[in-house]
Amino acid sequence: MPHELILLKNMSQPGYTGSLADYERAGGYQAIRKVLGKMPPGDVTDLVKRSGLRGRGGAGFPTGVKWSFIPKDHPGPRYLCCNADESEPGTFKDRQLMERDPHQMIEGMIIASYAIGVRIAYIYIRGEFVMGAKILERALAEAYKAGYLGENILGTGFAVDIYVHRGAGAYICGEETALLESLEGKRGLPRTKPPFPATNGLFNKPTVVNNVETLANLPYIVNRGVEWFMAIGNPPKSTGTRVFCLSGHIKRPGNYEVPMGITFREMIYDIAGGMRGDKPLKAFIPGGASASFFTSQHLDVKMDFESVAQAGSMLGSGGVTVMEEGTCMVWAAENLLHFFNHESCGKCTPCREGSSWLLQILRRIEHGKGKMEDLGTLARLCPNIAGRTVCAFGDAEIAPILSTLQYFRDEYETHVREQRCPFRRAPAPDLIAVGHG
Amino acid sequence: MADMVNILVDGTPIAVEKGTLVIEAARRLGIMIPHFCYHPKIKPDANCRMCLVEVEKMPKLQTSCSTLVAEGMAVRTNTAVVEEAHKSVLEFILANHPLDCPICDQGGRCDLQDFSHRYTPTKSDFLDVKRVFQKEYFSPLIDKEMNRCVQCLRCVRYCDEVIDAKALAPIGRGSRTEISHFTSHQLDCEFCGGCVQICPVGAFTNRLSDYEFRPWMMKRADTVCGYCGDGCTITLQSREDELIEVISSFEKGRNSGDLCARGYFGYQFVNHPDRLTMPLVRQPDGRFEPTTWEDVLPLLAERFTQVKLAYGSEAVGGLITSRGTNEDLYVFQKFMRLAIGSNHLDSAARFGHVNAVEAMRRVQGTNRWTVSYEDIVNADCLLLIGTQITWTNPIAGLKVKEAVKKHGAKLLTIEAMQPSIETTSNIANLSTTHLTVEVGRHPAAVHGLLKAVFDEGVADNHLAATASGYVDRTRAAVSALPYPEGMDEATLRTIARTFAGSRRGVILIGQDLLQSPGGYEASVNLMDLLLLLGKLSEKGWGLAPLTEENNEQGAIEMGATADYFPGAASLDDAAARTRIASAWKESPPVGAGMRMLDMLEAARSGKLKAMLIVGENPARTLPASAKPAEALGRLEFLVVQELFLTETAKLAHVVLPASSYAEKSGSFTNSEGCVQKVRAGLEPLGGSRPDWEILSAVSVLMGYPLEYGDAAEILKEIRAVIPGYRVLGATPEPARVDRPAMDRYVGGGFAEDMASRYRATSNITQDSSYPWSLWVGQSLFHSGKLSTMAKGLLEIQKEGRLYMNPADLQRMQLAEGEMVTLTSVAGEARVPVGALGRIPRGILFFPESFKEAIAGLLTMTPDAVTGVPYHKQQRVAVHKT
Amino acid sequence: MLIEPYKDRIAEILGRYPEKRAALLPLLWLAQETQGYVSEEAMREIAGLLDLTPPQVFETVTFYSMYNLRPIGRFHIQVCRSLMCALVGAENLLSWIDAKLGLKTGGTTPDRMFSLHQVECLASCGTGPMMQINDEYYERLTQAKVNRILDDLRRDGKSDLASGPFMFPEPSNKSSESSCRTN
Ligand SMILES: Cc1cc2nc3c(=O)[nH]c(=O)nc-3n(C[C@H](O)[C@H](O)[C@H](O)COP(=O)(O)O)c2cc1C
Ligand code: SF4
Ligand code: FES
Repeated sequence: MPHELILLKNMSQPGYTGSLADYERAGGYQAIRKVLGKMPPGDVTDLVKRSGLRGRGGAGFPTGVKWSFIPKDHPGPRYLCCNADESEPGTFKDRQLMERDPHQMIEGMIIASYAIGVRIAYIYIRGEFVMGAKILERALAEAYKAGYLGENILGTGFAVDIYVHRGAGAYICGEETALLESLEGKRGLPRTKPPFPATNGLFNKPTVVNNVETLANLPYIVNRGVEWFMAIGNPPKSTGTRVFCLSGHIKRPGNYEVPMGITFREMIYDIAGGMRGDKPLKAFIPGGASASFFTSQHLDVKMDFESVAQAGSMLGSGGVTVMEEGTCMVWAAENLLHFFNHESCGKCTPCREGSSWLLQILRRIEHGKGKMEDLGTLARLCPNIAGRTVCAFGDAEIAPILSTLQYFRDEYETHVREQRCPFRRAPAPDLIAVGHG
Repeated sequence: MADMVNILVDGTPIAVEKGTLVIEAARRLGIMIPHFCYHPKIKPDANCRMCLVEVEKMPKLQTSCSTLVAEGMAVRTNTAVVEEAHKSVLEFILANHPLDCPICDQGGRCDLQDFSHRYTPTKSDFLDVKRVFQKEYFSPLIDKEMNRCVQCLRCVRYCDEVIDAKALAPIGRGSRTEISHFTSHQLDCEFCGGCVQICPVGAFTNRLSDYEFRPWMMKRADTVCGYCGDGCTITLQSREDELIEVISSFEKGRNSGDLCARGYFGYQFVNHPDRLTMPLVRQPDGRFEPTTWEDVLPLLAERFTQVKLAYGSEAVGGLITSRGTNEDLYVFQKFMRLAIGSNHLDSAARFGHVNAVEAMRRVQGTNRWTVSYEDIVNADCLLLIGTQITWTNPIAGLKVKEAVKKHGAKLLTIEAMQPSIETTSNIANLSTTHLTVEVGRHPAAVHGLLKAVFDEGVADNHLAATASGYVDRTRAAVSALPYPEGMDEATLRTIARTFAGSRRGVILIGQDLLQSPGGYEASVNLMDLLLLLGKLSEKGWGLAPLTEENNEQGAIEMGATADYFPGAASLDDAAARTRIASAWKESPPVGAGMRMLDMLEAARSGKLKAMLIVGENPARTLPASAKPAEALGRLEFLVVQELFLTETAKLAHVVLPASSYAEKSGSFTNSEGCVQKVRAGLEPLGGSRPDWEILSAVSVLMGYPLEYGDAAEILKEIRAVIPGYRVLGATPEPARVDRPAMDRYVGGGFAEDMASRYRATSNITQDSSYPWSLWVGQSLFHSGKLSTMAKGLLEIQKEGRLYMNPADLQRMQLAEGEMVTLTSVAGEARVPVGALGRIPRGILFFPESFKEAIAGLLTMTPDAVTGVPYHKQQRVAVHKT
Repeated sequence: MLIEPYKDRIAEILGRYPEKRAALLPLLWLAQETQGYVSEEAMREIAGLLDLTPPQVFETVTFYSMYNLRPIGRFHIQVCRSLMCALVGAENLLSWIDAKLGLKTGGTTPDRMFSLHQVECLASCGTGPMMQINDEYYERLTQAKVNRILDDLRRDGKSDLASGPFMFPEPSNKSSESSCRTN
């Protein structure tokens, strides 16, 4: 099946620098000319709704529908936040989209702002992306200079300002309400919902949070139409392409943009070149660290929202991490739990206490100090976290444990029985840090 | 009702108001859903996840603390799934919780203990190492044990949402989150004790009582705090007649559980080793000799009788603190009026509150507020003038904060302190419009407000039509005034316009206004303001003067001032006199009473020969320049009833040990006029006795038996004599404006002093040799002298410092704690300096509880109408030496 | 100290937000940029600027992992330890650094040149093992590259092995289509 690049197209051209001139030369900033002052904002939302575009940040919520929750007649400001926090282990696409072709996302933000009636929009970018932030600042300056931002854009009377706001190291700030708290200068603790950001978002005003990749799609949907977009991927539920991020024991890791609906086998073996060292594939994560592990039996699952969910995991952020035979699943789960424990914001009891407890158990098992009862405890604690927390982090942190327990229980048992890791000499555990600083 | 929502909780139907949380709806049915982070005082945060319930048609369990009821909702709190969820959250909390319950002060009243008990987890599957936070010193008063913390953040949220101090910070992230102040600094806050009280476990405890008790061993008594006029319900917890701690339950009292530093940490004066426990009689050589009640009582009767016989009743005067119970105050004035036969008596209400009461009596015909705390909370606009509210009346301050922070009321402040963010709250930070004025200039600001009312054209048209004389003359008087020098006209206009444009507004005034020259006139003028806006008699509107001491309102209503009989009736009110005479079966003396300053003057001149002083300390309270000690020293017979051997007691011939509020029963009347029960938590210390009991015993020996079996009997008599006291309870029905009185005022009464009330007051005299304005006032941690006997409060503030703006300190090149010399026309003093951002530049603040250090500096002017001695403000020079 | 020389920048930052507190993270960045860490003084000053109490600033600072509360080495090496990098040898990377600098996680070299921390995923999963040093990313590391980078930094204060604008796999020269077309 041939497929055309959309989001990665410009940057794949030799010599493309992502400058405004390059972007314009490639057809950039035409979409806003079609939209601003030409289409009623409601029609833009409608267009996006009909395109079937779903959020690329993780949850896959239909973008147009999300916009339509913004109260129509709300007086006072509304806000758009571009979620550029990209911190999900296994995911590195937004970084590339921003650093290589910042204007397509900025154009997307202008379109979204117009549709929702936004005067000020923010790009919340993770603190580590210093280069990304600089590139975006430069691109914004170019766009201002060209009259695409600020007052009276293209003489249409429409005005929007975009600011870059840097995070400072906290995975949870990718969760949209934590992002808003963080943007407000607070600790990034997710908010209890309802109320939702659509009514009570940034500064308590109606707000839309959209992922970088989601926004980057907008100019193309406007330029080429709903029908074109709907035909890509696995319609009606999964339209368009996704930029998948391939990592792990794979020959050609990296970002690949493909229409949704191809299989993991095609992705891993045909596109990304197959397994590094040609060892058999043991397991893979289909959608970032928060997604349940898959095994080789899932290779023919289609890479779209529904198919992956049906198979018991999620497409999430599009990060596909491949692990070869010989990789210890307990070790992998422990590594991820270290991440989750480190990144739990600490608001909810089950997530806060659960993540450190689970980590301690996994660490013991991995280091040859596990007990058979621990397996029962793991299985018992996980469902007491999922679904009982403020944000979806609680659901995420148990995914690696439950799925490895499901598919690789024997490996856990071997660890306990032999009181050692059968695969590798793991490094000595560092104790859970206590206190701060 | 349209706003009711019907839901089912565990099958039982209940109708609750729209907007009710499920957890509250269940509580009304007696179903207690376990919870940690929820507290009715603060916004739901739903972080502990303990309160999960099943809601029909919702796939996931919901937190009942953050879920609002919806019509037809069916909630289940007791299914197996819910039970399991509760158990599992507890399991998570307990995983890292230390098992130090045996040595935890919260043991026995700990939510975690109670829920654990309820869900009886038999054994824990937690096999790993418990998290350990390093123990760190937190503060002298509040101890912190982070290993016990359940991270519900109730303390942090309370400190922010209710107190507005923002002194507590959750630091770190995830399972390493702990509560801290700023970096490794020890806690610097207003020490309201709220974090200790609201902590569901033992993470915060009161260091003053650390490890002193097990909760169930303590004797409890619900009573009313003896510090300020806010009238907070507190529970005294004692063991073997030692006061161990003071707490307050949020379901109870006008304060609904909130307290301030004085209320929460200021109780240890009660068991202070320096308390007087035996009567003392001065010997010819000047020493005090301890004696017994049996010996001292006849001596008192004899000496008072001698003075009466020799010089007449008029030669005896009495002075009482307004910290006593109504019963003490009532028996005191009755003792003075009957046993002694003199109207020369006064109370500490003379220091300012009489100004407000006199104004209210004159204009609206009441001697108390026509509004209540509820009216403050529900107001949509509050005007604060000279209150310094969070320092002097912290709980009334919380009502203001609640109105502003929870209900979005507008706050207008004309205050001596400026906005400045610190980790103690500052009401000016919440202002919609703020005007900083120097103490002493509040009356001028009131002039400005009235002028603005006319300039903005917001005066009530109806009144202009019905009482044109009043309106026209007031307008004329006010228009003749310039806007007060140094005050921004636009700000005054905004304040007037905003207040006039609101739906329900209350004016709160406090010590800075009432205890400064012009305090009386300004109070009347503020009632003019309400009248002119057409609001004085409207429901929810009114003037609310705050009282410094806990029972100033009671002191006036009990008749314990020179001007009034019980019921705050004028001495020349014939009907009142008849009523009282028939109740007392004897007529009270005729003739005007001498007020505090008059009595001192009379003592000085030799007209007054004897005085009975109960709990008041004029030798210290009045400035040295007024020479109170010298006057008292001239008396032939001075009796002082006191807790401690004060400066005044030291001058006495007989000193009698009195019981503290914690040791007696009776009632207090708070600022808002709410009469509340005072209950003894301890036996009287040593040989001390309640003031009324002492006077009652002396009266018997003098042949004028004022005999009462207990305080309740006195209250019964009070109720018979004072009309209003029959119907009052813990929730006051505020007084109503007395229409005839108001009509009299508007109809001509206003004119009596029109000219002087609306006379332009110039800026406080600028004097280049005394360039600074020193303001002496109450501080957050101390009020009067009692608090300086409380160990806890001394831990936070142990001395008086001269506070000035940090910029001034810098300009003077002074370091905190450095000594400076102050001079004024009256004298000189040496004190250490401190920095405080809320003090405006050019102003100096000194806490009056330590004012002996600066006593020599102050001068005093009495109010021409009300005799209030003004001595809060002084021009001084600062010398860096 | 902080405010005076940066008045304009601070004003510009404040101008981006309708509420002052929102400027907190950017101002903390400014403080860290200028001082190398966020000092107590800076926190107090920022609190004053934003009408916050110092504890409110402190609670925010400590939530985020990138603000340093005390001075650290001139080059802050942060090695990603999350699964994707761990699969491709993040541990080796640590041992290479140790071999080169005698530096272990959490430590600082005696000359205060380098500090080393392990961090969670830096969004460079396809190009591991990787590290961030101050503002720059260094990816697809080998022992030789690590040695060169560290030498470069010590000598020149920078290294041209730092990543540029990110794209991986790098675009092929010929086509705008994906290099792995499946037709
Ligand atoms: C724990 C957690 C972390 C998340 N991190 C990210 C992230 O880094 N980037 C992102 O775009 N969305 C992230 N999300 C999803 C956002 O909450 C939100 O759904 C998304 O930004 C919405 O944008 P979209 O509709 O365009 O996908 C995260 C969600 C959770 C629960
Ligand atoms: S689930 Fe975890 S990360 Fe999410 S709000 Fe709760 S504690 Fe924070
Ligand atoms: S009480 Fe509801 S979540 Fe804590």
